Amino acid sequence: MSASRETARRAARVAAARAYVLPLALLVAWELSTRFGLVNTRLLVAPTKVIAAAWRELQQGGIVTPLAASLARDLGGAAIGSVLGVLVGSVMGVSRRWEHALGPSFHAAKQVAIFAWIPLMSVWLGTGEVAKVVFVALAAFYPVALNTFEGVRSVSPSHVEVARVFAFSRVQVFRRVVLPGAAPSIITGVKVGLVYAWLGTIGAEYLLAAAPGIGNLMIDGRESFQMDKVLLGVVIVGAVGVIISAAAANVEARLLRWRS
Amino acid sequence: MANPGIIEIIDVHKRYEVNNEALHVLGGLSLTITPGEFVSIVGLSGSGKSTLLRLLIGLDRDYQGEIRVGGEPVRGPSLDRGIVFQEHRLFPWLNVRDNVGLGLENSKLSVSEKERTVREHIELVGLRGFEEAYPHQLSGGMAQRAAIARALVNRPSILLLDEPFGALDALTRSNLQQELQRIWQSEKISMVLVTHDVDEAVYLGDRVVVLEPHPGRIERIVPIDVPHPRERKDPRLEALIREVREAILEHRS
Amino acid sequence: MVQAISAYKLDETGRGIESARWRVPRSAGRYAWGTLFPLGLLGLWALAVERAWAPPQILPPPRLVLATIVDLVRSGELLNNYLISLGRVAGGFFLGAVLGAVLGGAMGLSKRLEHYLFPTFNALSQVPVLGWLPLAMMVFGIGESLKIVIIAQASLVPVAINVLQGIRRVPPQYLEVAQVFELSRRQLLRRVVLPATVPSLFVGVRYGLTLGWLSLVTVELLASSEGLGFLIVWGRQLFQLDLVLAAIISVGVVGLLLDKGLALLESRLLRWRPQASWSGEKVVAS
Repeated sequence: MSASRETARRAARVAAARAYVLPLALLVAWELSTRFGLVNTRLLVAPTKVIAAAWRELQQGGIVTPLAASLARDLGGAAIGSVLGVLVGSVMGVSRRWEHALGPSFHAAKQVAIFAWIPLMSVWLGTGEVAKVVFVALAAFYPVALNTFEGVRSVSPSHVEVARVFAFSRVQVFRRVVLPGAAPSIITGVKVGLVYAWLGTIGAEYLLAAAPGIGNLMIDGRESFQMDKVLLGVVIVGAVGVIISAAAANVEARLLRWRS
Repeated sequence: MANPGIIEIIDVHKRYEVNNEALHVLGGLSLTITPGEFVSIVGLSGSGKSTLLRLLIGLDRDYQGEIRVGGEPVRGPSLDRGIVFQEHRLFPWLNVRDNVGLGLENSKLSVSEKERTVREHIELVGLRGFEEAYPHQLSGGMAQRAAIARALVNRPSILLLDEPFGALDALTRSNLQQELQRIWQSEKISMVLVTHDVDEAVYLGDRVVVLEPHPGRIERIVPIDVPHPRERKDPRLEALIREVREAILEHRS
Repeated sequence: MVQAISAYKLDETGRGIESARWRVPRSAGRYAWGTLFPLGLLGLWALAVERAWAPPQILPPPRLVLATIVDLVRSGELLNNYLISLGRVAGGFFLGAVLGAVLGGAMGLSKRLEHYLFPTFNALSQVPVLGWLPLAMMVFGIGESLKIVIIAQASLVPVAINVLQGIRRVPPQYLEVAQVFELSRRQLLRRVVLPATVPSLFVGVRYGLTLGWLSLVTVELLASSEGLGFLIVWGRQLFQLDLVLAAIISVGVVGLLLDKGLALLESRLLRWRPQASWSGEKVVAS
């Protein structure tokens, strides 16, 4: 028994090691190509320079504050969007009538790139914090609503019957059967929603009025032709995105422990 | 309640409409089940066995005729009537204790009384020690035991069982049949068992009701006058098993 | 076709029975309900304009937006911009889908490749259009190639992921059957793996097209001088919200048509597929 577990563990380690080969190779290639002037160093800055920029900004407090500001918008907007998404998704899932009423409009609006709403929003809501948070909420709303809808729809009728046998009211059925049954899908939706929310946050910062944030960091860098700053911003965006997704997956595993 | 636990089924008809065609599932069924009796119902597919149980439990109110339990007409589900389905239908996100406790959600007992009765019923079905387990961790037989505990937790006067052991392997099935007999003797409530398994029907039942299909009607009622607890190898049971089998097959054409 | 009861709303009449209340032909009922929300919104909009809840620059009357749409159609401007946008989508999407299928296929067929490539691919695919844009703009300029590249990148990701998953999800029982019959690797691929992966490929392709359309409009918003996305920005700059709204509506409609069109194609091509998923009941026809 332990022999096969050893082989499995070794295989996992091999896989993990291989995962780093490509990124490291790319980093080295990147560094070397800038050193040997193979690329326009005004555009593609050496990784070492990016790290240096990171260090510099960190010391000047140019990372922590903007990051906090961006995260505040991100999580606030994501929370609002998720709550609304669960609401709308539940309504559409529970009632066929509502699904038919809202569905077509819902799917049509889904086809509009989210950033296409910015020009309109900038007129209706201005370019301040409100507009940004609303935009982030919108970004999170769709995946949450869609997944909630699907989850509520696929709740097992045989479980609902059990509840009826025990004389559960409609509200009780929703709370004790439908919601828990839909929980895995809802959580998937929130996970995707968080990804979109983070992207929406940066986008909103980029496109709406300047305010502290990572998006602003990148704008600053671009306007002062400091490519290292821009790339730093990109790296931070990516890293935070990965961290948020990992944290969400962790919470999901904990909440859904009852699954096989 | 006049004579709790007495079930009166009076001239019940049920028709389904499938693809614009009328399907006559139950054609004038009448049966009285006395309190504390164990009645097995057998019959070929299409004889309406499961439909009858759904009418008894109150999940289906569209029929002609009368169904009374304890003198009161059945108007919908009630905590006084429990049912065990073929699939255990435990909620995957609840452990065994919470699943059994689900039946008490609408009961008027106090919290401590609820806890106590849940404990007692888990013990009754032989699942002590598994209170924290989740359904995916249980075997088919254990899950079905939990389902039985859940159905009994309200101390109903009637327990309906719709092919409860049909999805289990033969050994587990045999084991659980014995358990069911023990539980019935201990709780002394009426039980109505629908099954395909003639051996099971005869082993457990005080009477075996044989239904004929298209439409479902009582073909014959075979009394099983063998005292409990019963031995499987009892020749009287074996003779009765043969009799019931013949009664079912008489309507194969 | 009688409308079915929602699974949640179990009726007193029990399983499998159509309730008399819902006896409406399915399609008519659905479409009727579907117009309720847009009509309601339209009504609210008209009311807001009439009661002047907002100045007409901010909330143009529906009539004006309709007139603008008609104008754009008549002047050919809308058509022009449609075609430009669609052309870009077509090019980029095709490129991205092919590359994505190849990449996903390679990773699916070789565990080793998957180990090397997938983690990086996964991380990079999380970067949104907006993230790549500054970089891409510096490398590709702001011409057509920029748009093609961005759309290709967006379409590539779902196609690759779905093809990879499709190959991974081929039921092992089929692979065992192939082993028993001693099929060569090529036969295995052609007869078992490929047909099993096609449904997943389609799922990826549909997502890819949707993402491609979304990315295109995003790029046109930020780095273009024509196309539907550009119209939105231009209208905003001229403070002609009727133009903005007309362009947004057009984007939504075109996106919907693209998606529905692909769905239709999928159902035609995959007509042989049983309604259930590939859980192993049906054997692949040779």
